[in-house]
Amino acid sequence: MKKKSTAFKTLLIDFLLASYLVLCIDSFIFTRHTMENGIDWASFGVVLLIGLILGLILNRVSKLSIGKMFLKEYDTSKARGIGQKPYAILGLVILAVTFYVGVLVTELSFYEFFSQAGIQGATRIFTALLNPNFEVLDQGILAVIETIYMAFIATAFSLPFAFLLSFFAARNLMNGSGFGLTVYYVIRFFLNVSRSIEPLVWAIIFSVWVGIGPFAGMLALMIHSVSSLAKLYSEQIENISEGPLEAMTATGAHPIQVIWYGVVPQVILPFLSFTIYRWDINVRMATVIGLVGGGGIGTLLMQFQGLARWNEVGLLIIIIAAVVWLMDFLSSKIRESIK
Amino acid sequence: MENLFKLDKLEKTYPNGVRALKGVSFDVNKGEFLVIIGLSGSGKSTMLRCLNRIHEPTGGDLQFKGKSVVSLKGRELRQYRSKIGMIFQHFNLVPRKSVLENVLTGTLSRTSIFKSVFNMYSDADRQKALELIEVVGLKGKEMHRADNLSGGQQQRVSIARALMQDPEVLLADEPVASLDPATSHSVMEYLRKIQQQYGITVICNLHFLSLVREYGTRVVALKGGEKMFEGSPSEIDEDWFKRIYGEQAVEVTIN
Repeated sequence: MKKKSTAFKTLLIDFLLASYLVLCIDSFIFTRHTMENGIDWASFGVVLLIGLILGLILNRVSKLSIGKMFLKEYDTSKARGIGQKPYAILGLVILAVTFYVGVLVTELSFYEFFSQAGIQGATRIFTALLNPNFEVLDQGILAVIETIYMAFIATAFSLPFAFLLSFFAARNLMNGSGFGLTVYYVIRFFLNVSRSIEPLVWAIIFSVWVGIGPFAGMLALMIHSVSSLAKLYSEQIENISEGPLEAMTATGAHPIQVIWYGVVPQVILPFLSFTIYRWDINVRMATVIGLVGGGGIGTLLMQFQGLARWNEVGLLIIIIAAVVWLMDFLSSKIRESIK
Repeated sequence: MENLFKLDKLEKTYPNGVRALKGVSFDVNKGEFLVIIGLSGSGKSTMLRCLNRIHEPTGGDLQFKGKSVVSLKGRELRQYRSKIGMIFQHFNLVPRKSVLENVLTGTLSRTSIFKSVFNMYSDADRQKALELIEVVGLKGKEMHRADNLSGGQQQRVSIARALMQDPEVLLADEPVASLDPATSHSVMEYLRKIQQQYGITVICNLHFLSLVREYGTRVVALKGGEKMFEGSPSEIDEDWFKRIYGEQAVEVTIN
């Protein structure tokens, strides 16, 4: 039974890798596909067919099965050097092809980088950036204050939600009953989904919902902070020592008291540390979110960039760098002191 | 002699299939110092935790003062637990909290959730906690952080915490296994004091037979989840020792 499923898994891996290899060689190296061509699904089917045949050959006939390598089906104890592991060579070939295709797809061009026009453009923008316009200093400072407070409020509002959710997302507290485990999985699922959506995307959603401005940015950061903090918090809870929990249960305490005395004292400082770090991250993210209308210094940066006023952009970059450095410094100092 | 616990073919099978207790039956009498011995993994800790239902027995019956307690739930279960104090090998104190706060957690079952979250314990409870801290010889350390104390002192804090529950029984799960010999005797002396002066029944898991002979009034030995000996400490001779701990075992003493 186990033998069969392993054999199937190795074959599946070999089939997918062989198809990938054929696809790379066919569409990028031979025909140089671009976006405009669209996808030719018929020939994609042919690629899969060739991949299947090739995969079968690799898996069954040759000693080139990467699937078998991954699932440790090959006896490597006697292999000396890469010469006796042909499958490893095939792996390197796939890596090399991927690298080559990557170079093609990203349109790497030394010509663009070092061309006359390119150099001129670079000189122009760097000259402007290095000569910041201090006339917009007031505007920049006000905008960055908005950004810092926006990040702070996003962190502060996300804290109680993350705190409550984290207990339900901690496996060691929820595995007592089937109902508990169900809640655990549902919450974990929503946290994972909301965390995998970037704050930038949330900002776009909220800027349509509540209008462009710091409020939209705050909401975007908050959603992302809730899911990130809840995950970090719950992992901390999963790592606590069970002893105090057991002792509190033994005194006849109510489950809420058990958590308050058995769990909270063990996690409160790490929680605080994570939260301060999150504020630090949120200040940085708030800048980026401003670019899509989340308010603060990012929005201002976007406006000047749109007008090609590079001297003003230069000043804003200095302000952002200074604030980010300061926040980073302060948050690490604070986190050190509460260890 | 008044009967306190009655174990009747008590079984515990863990979800992973391990059968820790395979139908253990014995009685615990009021006021005795009962010692449970046996190798690691013989089911001692599981047995102790089944008594206050931190672990759920999966078969058989457990009676406390003549009433079955295996199906108690919610508030009734918590009130039952509050009558049973417990101390542990690793003390299990609440970290970052003071000695006083740790001792006060012994009152959680009779303090409302709201009051306990905001540390609003009654004056009577505070007074009692201070007295118990003195009883276990830690006067002057009330406001020290409990997790900064030495092992023996931490175990005494946990004894005071258990006494704070006004328990009828004290369960001790290898209370001296992580302490040095001198401290071990001091902690065992406190347990004896609790048994003799306060009339609290003590059920204690121990490793060292020398301690068993000195402090225990009765012994139950477990092996592989089954009871294999029940009697007085003096009855455990060389022969029984080998049957409990295996042919290869050599007795080690602790002075």
